[in-house]
This record gives sequence, C-alpha cells and structure tokens, in this order.
Amino acid sequence: MSIKISHLTHVYNEGTAFEKKALDDVSIEIQTGEFIGLIGHTGSGKSTLIQHLNGIIPPTSGEILLDGENIHKDKAKLKEVRRRIGLAFQYPEYQLFEMTVYKDVAFGPTNMQLSKEEIHESVVSALETVGIPHELYEKSPFELSGGQKRRVAIAGVLAMNPEVLILDEPTAGLDPRGRDEILAAVGRLHRERGITVILVSHSMEDVAKLADRIIVMHKGKAAMTGTPREIFSCPAELEGMGLAAPQMSYVFASLKEKGFDVPTDIYTVEEAKEALLKLVKQVKV
Amino acid sequence: MIRDITIGQYYPVDSPIHRLDARIKLGVTFLFIVTLFLVNSFTGYLFAAACMALVIRASKVPLKFMLKGLKSIMIIILFTAFINLFMTRGEHVLWHWGFLTLTVEGILMAIKMCVRLVMLIIGSSLLTLTTTPIQLTDAIEYVLRPFKRIGVPAHEIAMMMTIALRFIPTLLDETDKIMKAQQARGADFDTGNLLQKAKSLIPILVPLFISAFRRAEELAMAMEARCYHGDEHRTRMKEMKMEKRDYRAMTIACCYTLAIFGLRFAAKVFPFVI
Amino acid sequence: MKMVKAEGLSYAYTRLTETDHGTEEKKITALEQVDIEIEKGEFIVVLGHNGSGKSTFAKHINALLQPTGGTLWVKGMDTQQEEKVWDIRQTAGMVFQNPDNQLVATVVEEDIAFGPENMGIEPKEIRRRVDDALATVRMSEFAAYTPSKLSGGQKQRIAIAGVLAMKPDCIVLDEPTAMLDPVGRKEVMETIERLNREEGITIILITHYMDEAVRGDRVYVIDDGHLVMQGHPKEIFAQVETLKGYGLDVPQVTETAYLLRKEGIDLPGDILTIEEMVGALCQLKSAI
Repeated sequence: MSIKISHLTHVYNEGTAFEKKALDDVSIEIQTGEFIGLIGHTGSGKSTLIQHLNGIIPPTSGEILLDGENIHKDKAKLKEVRRRIGLAFQYPEYQLFEMTVYKDVAFGPTNMQLSKEEIHESVVSALETVGIPHELYEKSPFELSGGQKRRVAIAGVLAMNPEVLILDEPTAGLDPRGRDEILAAVGRLHRERGITVILVSHSMEDVAKLADRIIVMHKGKAAMTGTPREIFSCPAELEGMGLAAPQMSYVFASLKEKGFDVPTDIYTVEEAKEALLKLVKQVKV
Repeated sequence: MIRDITIGQYYPVDSPIHRLDARIKLGVTFLFIVTLFLVNSFTGYLFAAACMALVIRASKVPLKFMLKGLKSIMIIILFTAFINLFMTRGEHVLWHWGFLTLTVEGILMAIKMCVRLVMLIIGSSLLTLTTTPIQLTDAIEYVLRPFKRIGVPAHEIAMMMTIALRFIPTLLDETDKIMKAQQARGADFDTGNLLQKAKSLIPILVPLFISAFRRAEELAMAMEARCYHGDEHRTRMKEMKMEKRDYRAMTIACCYTLAIFGLRFAAKVFPFVI
Repeated sequence: MKMVKAEGLSYAYTRLTETDHGTEEKKITALEQVDIEIEKGEFIVVLGHNGSGKSTFAKHINALLQPTGGTLWVKGMDTQQEEKVWDIRQTAGMVFQNPDNQLVATVVEEDIAFGPENMGIEPKEIRRRVDDALATVRMSEFAAYTPSKLSGGQKQRIAIAGVLAMKPDCIVLDEPTAMLDPVGRKEVMETIERLNREEGITIILITHYMDEAVRGDRVYVIDDGHLVMQGHPKEIFAQVETLKGYGLDVPQVTETAYLLRKEGIDLPGDILTIEEMVGALCQLKSAI
C-alpha cells in the first residue's frame, strides 16, 4: 500500500493568539514495504505528521492519499484507514488496561468484530512477532518489565494486521537491553510480515540500524530525505536542526578534514571497523 | 478538543484589582453574591450592576472575556428563565396552554433570576480572572484557618487544591493521548447505546487511573524528598500582607453593602418610587 | 568526612505474587552488601540496567528507603536516625526521572520555593534563594510560567533549581534525562556539570546513557543488587565485553576502538570521545 502526502499543512488553534503552524506544505511518498526513519527534534512536526497519517487529526489543507484515495473522503472508511495504518504512540504501555496480556492485545481485533478464531490467530501471531513467550499470555500486563509492557502494547496495534505500522519513539526511556529487544522486534516484523514501517525517533543510532530511507522534519517541513548514508554524511546540517548524527559520522568527517582518504558515508561500528582497517593497511603499504 | 477546557482562567494584566489581597477579593466576592439575594428592586439591580461595571473597568479584563465565561452556562441560564417564566403563579395571566401559564409576574421573575445568575457568574469569574490560583488557594487556606480547631484540615485542603490545579493540564493531556491511542486500536466512543458508550470508557478510565496513581506515588516521594511534612514549621515565600489599598477596598465594599441595604429598605417603604 | 558512605548496604523486600497455587511470598534482594565511598565535590555516575538496583541505592541516600542491612551515612549522618531525616534530605537533594511528577506548584517560582518553605526559612531568604537557583539553572525569565507550558528539559532544570534552593551539598539525580529529547538531555547535562564545577556540589548521576557516564569522575556499575565495577570512566569503558554482559552499552567510538584493537591495531584502550578517537588515529598515522 502506498501513502502519498501532498501539500499537507496543519495549523493548531487557527485564528487564535496561540496559532501555530505545525506542518507547512509537506509532500512525501512512501512505498509498500519501505522502512522509513522519521527524525526531527521536539516540535519539528513529526508527531503531528504521523497523527495525520491514520486520520486522527484532519489536515488544515492538503491531503493524504492511501492507494490514491483521500482518507478523509469517506468518513465511514476512516475506521478502516486506522486499522490499515497502525499507530503505536509514545510510551504505548500507558494504554494497557486489560486483566491479561492476551485480552489486551485482543482489544483491537475484537473492535474489528473478527471471529474468535481470527482474533486468536492475530493475537498469538502478534505476540510471537514481538517476542512475548506463551507463559506470559495470562499474566497481568502490569506485572511485566518496562520493555515487555511496551512490546505487548505494540503487539496490540500489530494484532489489527495493519499494512503500515507507525512507531512513535518506541525506545524512549528504556535501558539498552529493552531498547535492543524492541528494535529487534521491529526489525523482525518488517522482515517477516513485509509491512511498511515508519519509525519516529530522535536516536540516530536506532534509525541508522534499521531504516532504508530517512525523512528529517524541521520547522514543519520535510527538510531532508535520503538513505541513512546520504543523511548522515552531512552531520553539520543535522546539527543545525538540533539533531546529531551517529558518532562515527563525526569521526569520519573529521578524518576527511585532516586529509585522510576515507569515505564520509560511514555510520555503523561494523563499517567503521572495516574502513579503518583498510585505512591502516593503506598507510602501512 | 479536550484541552480547550480552561479552569480557573487567570487574565494576566496589572490592575488595581489584580493587586488587591486575594483574601479581600474572596471576601468581597462573597459579600457581593450575598447582596445579590438581598436586592429586591430594579433600582437595586441597576446599582449593583453599575458597581460591578466599575470594578470590571478597573480590572482591565476585556468584557469579551467575561461574556465568554457565560457561554458555557447559557443552557443553565435559559433553563432557569424557562422554569421561572412558566412556573411562576400570578394574577396577570397573559397566555395559557396545558400546564404552561405565562404571567406578568413570571416574566418579571424570569428577568430577575437571569440577571441575578449572570451577575453572580460575572462576579465570581472576576475573582478567578484577577487572582492567580495560587493566591486563591492561599486565601482559602487563610480563611479556613480558624476552623482548624474543629478539625478542618485547612493546609491540606489548600495543598490538595494546588496539586489538583497543577495536574489538571497534565491529566487532560494524558486523557487526550489515551483516547487517541485507543482510537488507533479501533475503539469507538461515539456510537452505540448508553451501555455500550459507558463500556467504551473502560479502556480510557483504567489507564488514566493507573497513571494518576503512579503520578501520585511519585509526587508524594518527590515532596517528601523536598522535606515536606505538613504545615508544621512551614513558612511561605510570599506573605500575605494587607496594604492601604486593601483597607480602602474594604471600606468601599462596606459602603456598597450599606447602600444595598438602604435600597432594600427604601423599596419596602416606597414601593412605587423605586 | 565522606559525603556518602555505605557499608554492607543491603535492601530486601517481600513481594506477593499470584501463582496457580495461590499467592506466594517472594523475597527480593534489590541491594546486597554494597560498599561505597563518595568524596565531597565528586561527580559520580551509577550505571546499571533497569531493575539492577541503582534507583534503590539512590533512594537510600535521600532516606526515602531504609536499609535492611548495613549502614549508609550522608555527611556522617546515619540515615536510620529518624531525627536526622530532614537534615539528610536537605544535605542530599534528589531529582527524579519524570519531570511531570515532581513539580508541585502551578507557578515555577512557587515550586522552587516549596523546599525552603518546608524547611521553615525566612520569606526574604526564600526569595533570594529562589532567584539565585533560577539564575543558576538559567531559567530566570521563566519564573512566572506555569510548568505545564515548559519543555521536558526545562521542567527538569526547574526540578534541579527546586533542590538547589535547599542549599544541598549533594544532588542525587535518578535518570533525569531518560524521558527527554536530545536537546533537553544536553540542557540538563550542562546544568549538572556546571553545578559540579562551579558550585562544587557533589553529583550522583544515575543513568544508562553511556555518553553521560563518560563525563563523570568515577563510575559505579550495579548489577543484580551488587556493586560489580568501579573506577574512572576510562578504566570502566575499556572493558567492553564485561559492560555488555551487564546489559549496558558502550559509545560507538569506544566499541570501534575495541574491535580494532582486537584486530591487532595499536590503539589506546581508553577512547571515549570523538576527539580522542580522531586524535588516536592521527597519532597512529604519524607513528607509521
């Protein structure tokens, strides 16, 4: 399913003293199966943008086309749009409410009025994808660890079998272990289910690990788009937008400046190791 | 949406009314509300309204702001008018249909009640518009202090009000967020019968309560860490001190009350003049 | 006198868990036999994954929790002495993780005044302290704001100012940046470092962000209630494998340097920052 955002503008509190333009003529296209990293500092408009994508807030002007059809054209279809485009908010564990993990994840599919078998299948498959073992299904979600709670909450969205999954800051507030578990689950669901993922984050390291394409939001505009390689090769520009590139981008930019013959599009530890090994060998020869 | 609700809207300008001691304002507002029920003539209303207009003028709060407060309770005003209009018994019947009877007395009563209600609301919103919530809670704490001996926890009530005011925006934001999150999972809050609608609130209320309890627990710990132990040996940064202007305001308020009593008395003695 | 000293500090509690056979009492040990000595003016970082016991340790310093074994002294005061509780809390202030859940008042300056008011300070002195604290965290222009209109980073700075107004010798910060965005994190870290450097306040920062940990004078690693590592950040981060074993991360540069060393390249074992990495690589080049 392709998403096309064209000339999307959103103004909060229009016509009052608190008027604020959160999105300013944004046009973006997202293809089926893509893994998008959406980055930008707080207030850049990224949260407003994702809430538009599943129709929770209507645009002030412009439109969002889902397979060529405006999502606000038919109000009756909006619920279906919300199912097809799953949205896991920031700190999603705060929306858990049921007595058991299983029941909570079943909330979405139940609202879709699926049959009991279909619900069961969706719930189990979603929980398996996020790596929650069977023995936790009948536990209260409030007894789980922070990282587990969050994965259950994400499974709650996943159980509606969305074609697109939007995750708003899924690793916020977690420790390294919890963060790695979430990112592994997100990577897995993208690979195994082939669904489109939009990962909102201000952690460059997280985005760098997973995304095929990065969209940088700044002051309500889509300021930069490109592969992680393209985006991270200009750390200075990112700094200007209140963001930071992964550490390695800085190391290589700095080495290049000092006259070393190194590529500047390196941002992961593994790549850095290879490039530096090559460099050292070059120097030795 | 939900965050448009404003509670205790304070209008931040510098005016003689804003500068008054909150205790005086609280007292005067109370006095004003009482006098509204003592007024028994149109001249009396006119006098009270004129005095109120002067205070509004002095407060530098735009009239538009005051009237906005009325909008939300328009239904109550209309309802009051309707009840008084048709339920008042009187001699001068103008129109009669079923159990509805329209009388001259009814019309007069309806006008009187509406004027009273509108003035009551404008009067009390004048208090919240010119006094910060914190000054107001301090004033309430002060006023309740004498009742401490009979077991009224004045300090605790004030502290609870402060915390409530502090957390209302946070919890409203949170409600908004939870609603959106459950909507994203296909929850439907708008359709269905009353029972279904009530049931659809569970996914909002449960997380909200859990979150409120978590916040309460964390806040209690944070307060303890900052040496909070009730109002024993507690001082305040801003002490409430009565100034000349406060005594002046008190005098004016007393004169006003006397005038209202005077008018009430006059209306009884010379009902046709006033 | 040591700012904070712990000897055999242990903390255990029982939790009721529901199992198939009814409720079961389970004894959980959050801290076991922890010995720590912190000097005045030090910048200490406590690392550990969630549930490692690092927050439990922090709450002991503020006498919010009482040890079930061993003793903890704050500036020579035993935290188990009930009559010393308020002195201890004034000496070692505490900032918590969630900026929303630790501000009490609806106006910034009133919130900062909360601590001194509880201590029974003179009104004029409170005013002075509030103004000073606001200036120190560079938030003076926000004195009359309501906290809900501030960003996360700003709220945390107000929370720090609220502690500062109590004139503490030591501030314990329990994951103060975990819920903040990069801008907020930077603001808070700069504030903390300034307090340590310029005001000489002892800082105990609990975190799991490694880029914050490298700025400390000394790092403690807590795992499963035990103090498992301690030392200068350079000594700690040189042990990449061990840290990873405790569910912790190392900065990208440190990890890369570690991998390169394993390949036989002669890099120092204590690279923590981008500058150090670039410097070391340049040296390597000139050496050859």
